[in-house]
Amino acid sequence: MGVKRIGPARSQETTAIRRKRARIPAIYFSVTLLVVLVCLFTAGNRNFLSAYNLNTIASYAAILLVVGLGQMNTILIGGIDLSVGGLMSFISVVFIVSLKAIGVWAFPLCIVAALVAGYLNGIILTRIKIPSFIATLGTGGILTSLALLVSPLPVDVPASTYGLLEIVNGTTLGISNLLLLTLVTFALYYVILRFTSVGRNIYYIGSNIKMSWMSGIDIIGTRNFAFVLSGLGAGIAAIMQSCSQYGGDPTLGKVYILQSIAAVVVGGTALTGGTGGAINTVIGALILAVMENGMNVVGVDAYFQQSILGFVIIISVALTFDRGKTATIK
Amino acid sequence: MSAPVLELRRITKSYPGVVALDAVNFTVYENEIVGLVGENGAGKSTLMKILIGLIQPDDGSYSLRGEPVALRDPENAARLGVGMVFQEGSLVPNLSIMENLFLCHEIGFQRFGFLSKRAMREAAYSALAPVKVGSDLNIPIADTTPAVRQMVEIARLLWLSKLYNHKNPILILDEPTTVLTENERETLFLILEEIKSQASIVLISHRLQEIVQNSDRIVILKDGKNVTELRAERASISDIENLMVGHSFEADRYREDEQVEPGRETVLKVQKLSRRGAFQPIDFSVRRGEIVSLVGLVGSGKEEVCRCIAGLDKPDSGSITLDGKKLPSGSPSETVHSGIGNIPIDRRSEGLALGMTVAENVNLLVLDRLKVAGFISPAREKSNAVRWMEECRIKSPSSSTICANLSGGNQQKTVIAKWLSSQIKFLVLDHPTRGVDVGAKEEIYRLIRKLADDGIGMIIMCDTLEEDIGLCSRMLIMRDGRLVGEVTCPPYKKPSPSEIIGLIV
Repeated sequence: MGVKRIGPARSQETTAIRRKRARIPAIYFSVTLLVVLVCLFTAGNRNFLSAYNLNTIASYAAILLVVGLGQMNTILIGGIDLSVGGLMSFISVVFIVSLKAIGVWAFPLCIVAALVAGYLNGIILTRIKIPSFIATLGTGGILTSLALLVSPLPVDVPASTYGLLEIVNGTTLGISNLLLLTLVTFALYYVILRFTSVGRNIYYIGSNIKMSWMSGIDIIGTRNFAFVLSGLGAGIAAIMQSCSQYGGDPTLGKVYILQSIAAVVVGGTALTGGTGGAINTVIGALILAVMENGMNVVGVDAYFQQSILGFVIIISVALTFDRGKTATIK
Repeated sequence: MSAPVLELRRITKSYPGVVALDAVNFTVYENEIVGLVGENGAGKSTLMKILIGLIQPDDGSYSLRGEPVALRDPENAARLGVGMVFQEGSLVPNLSIMENLFLCHEIGFQRFGFLSKRAMREAAYSALAPVKVGSDLNIPIADTTPAVRQMVEIARLLWLSKLYNHKNPILILDEPTTVLTENERETLFLILEEIKSQASIVLISHRLQEIVQNSDRIVILKDGKNVTELRAERASISDIENLMVGHSFEADRYREDEQVEPGRETVLKVQKLSRRGAFQPIDFSVRRGEIVSLVGLVGSGKEEVCRCIAGLDKPDSGSITLDGKKLPSGSPSETVHSGIGNIPIDRRSEGLALGMTVAENVNLLVLDRLKVAGFISPAREKSNAVRWMEECRIKSPSSSTICANLSGGNQQKTVIAKWLSSQIKFLVLDHPTRGVDVGAKEEIYRLIRKLADDGIGMIIMCDTLEEDIGLCSRMLIMRDGRLVGEVTCPPYKKPSPSEIIGLIV
């Protein structure tokens, strides 16, 4: 009986090549996408690149970036924070209401409240051991209700406190404070992730939680910290938004739940965690802001915009999702 | 001589760096029980996976009842009358005995789209008759004993082959007796003897006594090759042992000249450590620079002992003391910070963050040392990584290469480098050279010798008895949850594997 080859003849080479292609950093894809989009929209309408329009894009991107930077931490560690929307709404109205009552102390008060909310999300995951998807879905709902309880309708800032809002609305050395605050927030998150142990641990846990546990990494503390960072992002974003709009809105955060996640994953951070980072989130926020603005400037049908956005999100996630990490894709 | 039902000829299977099977021949005849023996790593599981269609060989031929076949998957194999009862079982725990028996093949019991429970019950009684299962058919499988579960799996395979009209199905039993009591074992072999009249059975077991008593023919594999086969009546256990482990034993393969005399002080002390269902109270200690090998079959409790020492499991009683200080149990975080490291058996899922770089993995435990003014310094990170990459001879394009792109051997060296660079006092090594090519194996042995030289105490479990004997200075033997023996292994005066095997089984 002659020797016969049976079975699929897949050689080792093709698997090696397949693995290599998947290892091109996702950021190359997202930057390319951004450039392509800018070119397309400019081709559709030259005014896309006007100073006024770029400014509009920047302001939109700024808020989205800040809340996205917060969300990034929970996604990096392998979870998710669905409460950012509710938290933003809540902080938005609490901020305006407390401005009237305690003036400039409203700023630190709201930051602390955001940190506490994030910490509670962390505790529910790490101590009560409810998956972050469910836990934050719950806390998000609670915060949304609380926001409406504090103020069922949008509330305006009293003219007497306009001065305080200059912290966000003013300019320093010619640059808008909004952009400066965004830059500071970006720097903060970048430094934490890149240069601190706890930031590095977020990556280890997101990449391989079992190994992290076996190597002695503090899983509980790091997870709590990631959610605190997420709360912080939502809080700062809410304050920034409320200042620019001269008022608080108890439904402010609704769109930001999905938008913050989109900003993170479109930029190239894997939804499964472990890879990605602050720069990716910047690109992601820019892509979303460019799309939102560009589609209007070019005149895309409003109803069509949602589908295009959805399409872009699916493509980005498909390129960065680590199928090796999930046994079944749910 | 009865006809061959299944013939594998010149089956070859390779993985990166490792030849698992090298032109292996395996034949199963009608109405026989054939025992398959060999050490861990001999190729038994790979061969069986090919037999049931779970993996495809790189070369060779497979014919069933005289016809060449190419199996797509185990489902395909089951329909052709070749099935395996795995050690861990493959039944659905929350379904009943009856439902598991006919899983995915209920179409024969459907009347107008509804399942006829009565028909299923009747069929179940007759299917379970040969295996003598008398339990209530409706209780969920999770509530039955391992013995019953095994019988249900055997009954299912027999029933499937009747359904597809195959005479003489082939049943592969992988270590069936590890989960059975003495009585249940006797019952199993009585049943197998009866089933033999309508099927063939491949029996895989480390318990040579059972193999010799219950098989007709014994096939021995070693290092991915056929060694020989013998009739069971003419076989003696010591003959088989010798054939399994062989006599070739290069003394300097394990760098015995580098085996250091352990220090005087005890670094790790285990006292009255026990864990319900795994091992009974056990005492031993390890000195500085000593390599202690823990050997025993799967189920002897050795893996669980190591898990407790590494802080991954909480023992029910007893204590673990490191350098005189008692360690809190069940917390890998505390254990690691006290100075005990562990090289896990599965480097991909437990040892490394594959998506991160070599530097990030190597530096995981020592980030605090690489900081400047409280922040991680990229320069220090890189230099630490490069230093340990050189020390451990990790072949990688750079320290920023993603670990997933390294070979298995280099990945394993990265895991070792991670622990080497931190200041551990004791290391638990779980099959440190598993799935690693020969060249990297040698380098890992060199690293292990270096660790001992640095005064780090180690407890090690290896893939082969040879490796255990070659590396250790002392060997602890466990069986059925108890420490049953201790053998010293001084360099150049090592005991032979056959001497040890008798104590293990």
